[in-house]
Amino acid sequence: MTVTATLPQVSEVFATKHGCVQQDDAQRRWLVEFAGRTASFDHRNLMKLRKAVYAIDIEQRLLEGAHGPDVEIIFICASEHCYVLSLLQVIAIKDLLEGAFVMLELNQIIHNRLYRAYA
Amino acid sequence: MKDLLRIKSLISTEIESLLNQQVKKEAHSSSIYLSMASWCNRNGYDYSSEYFFKQAEEERQHQLKFYKYILDMGGNAISPDVTDIKQEYNSFREVFEEALDQEISVTRSISNIYARCLSTQDFVTMEFLNWFLKEQREEEYKARRALELFEVIGEEGTGRWQIDKHVGGIKYDSEA
Repeated sequence: MTVTATLPQVSEVFATKHGCVQQDDAQRRWLVEFAGRTASFDHRNLMKLRKAVYAIDIEQRLLEGAHGPDVEIIFICASEHCYVLSLLQVIAIKDLLEGAFVMLELNQIIHNRLYRAYA
Repeated sequence: MKDLLRIKSLISTEIESLLNQQVKKEAHSSSIYLSMASWCNRNGYDYSSEYFFKQAEEERQHQLKFYKYILDMGGNAISPDVTDIKQEYNSFREVFEEALDQEISVTRSISNIYARCLSTQDFVTMEFLNWFLKEQREEEYKARRALELFEVIGEEGTGRWQIDKHVGGIKYDSEA
């Protein structure tokens, strides 16, 4: 008798109190829940989001004080998503993405050790 | 959870970023050689000018090798900004001194990537880099030989004219 178990296709990668990143294995996409909405990114766009967020110089923004802009617009080319974030939200999304990428790397290490040949 | 990152790309983000830095370095090298070719041509050193034009083309080919490798491995190759290219030199000899410095810096940079690949067990990229390490032997040899000509011929009298003539004939044909 063959038993077919339906495994959940969406797994949580990393979560903070401000949001969470989930991976959808079937669609090969990541769901980023942040700033009150969930956006779906493919590999290329997730990399672009990370690059855009990491490129923001938070220290510089803090030093600018009242003279600098209050919001940061994160626009990702060829993606329907765009974020308009306050500096605190930028810090939070950076935190979220850093954690998520550490977990994805950890997942790769686990795959290497458990499922891929390690002769 | 599937390892989607690995499915999409063979190289890690860190190695991808180092390789993109190398793309920029090679593009920078190519532009510097082009500037040297111009300086030599303007100052009457036609053989050296031709030598630097060839070097500029070689560096451009190196840049493309890195660029295509990143793309082939599933990464994002970034077309670099090339700025701050020195256009004037104080002497004929200074051009060659800076050419050697440039090659030493490229060798160092490739070695750094190699070291990082070793520590992250990225043997595929290491194997790709082997070609560049061998190439650097030739590049450094040629730059060092050109400077040696200044010592053995000397710059006095028609010395610089002789040096220029011999620069065109520098070859590296070691089978080692």
